[in-house]
Amino acid sequence: MSSPLLELSHISLSFKGVKAVTDISFAVKEGEICALIGPNGAGKSSLLNVINGVYQPDSGDIQYAGDRLKRMQPHAAARRGIARTFQNIALFKGMSVLDNVLTGRNLKVRGSWLEQALHIGRAPGDEVIQRQRAEEIIEFLRIQPWRNSIVGTLPYGLQKRVELARALAAEPRLLLLDEPMAGMNHEEKADMSRFILDTQREFGTTIVLIEHDIGVVMNLSDHVVVLDYGKKIGDGTPQEVRENPEVIAAYLGTSH
Amino acid sequence: MSHDTLPGLLQHQAAQRGADVAIRHKQLGIWHVLRWQEVWREVQHLAAVLQARGFQKGDALFLLSHPRPQALLLQLAAQWLGGVAAPVDLLAARDDTLRVLQGLRPTWVFAEGEDEIALLAEAGAVPRLLIYADQRGVVANHSSAHLAYAEALALAAETVQAAPQQQAPLVAAVDHAFAFYRLEAQQADQAPQLQLQTISHHELLNEGRRLLRQENLKPQDEALAARAFAASGHARYLLAPWLLAGFRLNFPENLATRDNDRRELGPTLVAGTRETYQRLESLVQQRLPQAGSWRRRLVDWALRTSSATRKPLVVSLRPVAKPPRFSLQLLLAQWLVINPLRDVIGFSRTRVPLLVGEPLPESSLRFFHSLGIEVRNWEEQAYWYVLEGGKARVVKRGHASLTLPTPAVAAASVSTVGSPS
Repeated sequence: MSSPLLELSHISLSFKGVKAVTDISFAVKEGEICALIGPNGAGKSSLLNVINGVYQPDSGDIQYAGDRLKRMQPHAAARRGIARTFQNIALFKGMSVLDNVLTGRNLKVRGSWLEQALHIGRAPGDEVIQRQRAEEIIEFLRIQPWRNSIVGTLPYGLQKRVELARALAAEPRLLLLDEPMAGMNHEEKADMSRFILDTQREFGTTIVLIEHDIGVVMNLSDHVVVLDYGKKIGDGTPQEVRENPEVIAAYLGTSH
Repeated sequence: MSHDTLPGLLQHQAAQRGADVAIRHKQLGIWHVLRWQEVWREVQHLAAVLQARGFQKGDALFLLSHPRPQALLLQLAAQWLGGVAAPVDLLAARDDTLRVLQGLRPTWVFAEGEDEIALLAEAGAVPRLLIYADQRGVVANHSSAHLAYAEALALAAETVQAAPQQQAPLVAAVDHAFAFYRLEAQQADQAPQLQLQTISHHELLNEGRRLLRQENLKPQDEALAARAFAASGHARYLLAPWLLAGFRLNFPENLATRDNDRRELGPTLVAGTRETYQRLESLVQQRLPQAGSWRRRLVDWALRTSSATRKPLVVSLRPVAKPPRFSLQLLLAQWLVINPLRDVIGFSRTRVPLLVGEPLPESSLRFFHSLGIEVRNWEEQAYWYVLEGGKARVVKRGHASLTLPTPAVAAASVSTVGSPS
């Protein structure tokens, strides 16, 4: 954990004149888990969408892996090693778990489209490699029993895990998780927390996550950024944030 | 070459059918194979590592692992050196397992991974050698007491190169092969006590031979080791027959995938516990069509037809109609309902369904009977010992206990147990 992998400088974003985020700046070090917290409508998901290029900011810039960018395109974000999961699960519900995870490997596929279409040249060997990698992720997240199950038939907590698997299959350097534990029970949250920690520990992945469960955030994160009405009101370690009077007044105080 | 110990039989099988598949293990969705020759070589290598670290005849290797080939091979390596394998049942209540480990303070351990290592640490155990299979999350320990399985094998290659290995196992038929421990109260109002059961190679192979004869097991058979070998029944009726008959032993990817893997394999030999069979029964019940629907009536008719064609269930108290001869009705029932249902639970090819341990309720036996699965209960002739005031008290299956002088066969192991905390 040294230099920042991601640095947001003075990011502002509005929708038809309504300000979603205003002048937000913070940095995420390589290999850390950074949590974005704040009440509903604070601008957390908008900020995540700015990071991976879904939204273009009105002003400010992003520095990622040493490159300063005015705007990031979603496909460029994926190529640069940014993967994400969504607040509302965005999986291919009619496909199996394995096939969903394999879609996360799309950018890693070698060989031309012709080789892939005719299954010649590099394609057969590549297929084995992609399957092996997908299986490693499936094992990592302990979803082997549902490997061939249709995703739409799985319980919500498992679908969340499959979505994480698909994101991890892309071997991201930066992983954006939008409420990975929403709607989960205590046990499922504990499992997911462990998988997130293991992802950081085993793969060295930098993680930015949005989470409402303050207990989980404080245990899981190295770094917490607090937003309120589109503005940053706190930025520091969990301990620092916990002791920040502005944060206590605006957010933590009312939640406890 | 001795045929009266487990390692001796392994050596025999490696010589007889070295190129045949001994073990299959599913990993990352793919079945991998180990041949008899490879198993024998790996066991020898592991024995070399254990020996180099000071493991001696009579020492106990504790296995804290769900079924996986590494646990089996290390167990055979320990037995090769005249040691005892002591599998710890990880499906028991965590607190009970913790108390067992606190009472035993294992010196030689194979642990599956992070969770099992944490359990050992919580029990205050400081093993002289701990070999672990799954490196995920395991904090590197530089004391050299902790070795990843892959590291152990690499070390073995060096050890074997430096000093060629003993070609014959250092074990005798009367030696203990297994020690099983449990925490159990004899009466409801009593505190649980640490109890011990030991099995010698001789006893194990005798039981195995009996099963082999009765069930006519062949090298072509396939068995699934879903719970191996945390209960003595699995050692008696799965491990010993495997080495005696030379069939293939299959390990599921993990405990959670065992039903899927069984379905994929279609083993001919299943050694399940009461829980196994009841889980499979409920798996079928969940898939049955809604009561009253024509599909459900079809299933019920097929089960009745199938049941009526078979010999009466031995546990039955009511007379059952004499089985009719082959009929078109039976053929239809088999084709439409019975075979698909057997396939759902992975019993499509099973001809030896064994029940190890506690008996099944009659309703479950009847259910499997109607599917053409005649579950056989091989009751364990198991004696448990409790050490009290220099005496070993023998406990057998809830019967009144009998206090005896510590029997010679149990004395060595009992003395290693220590006092339960």
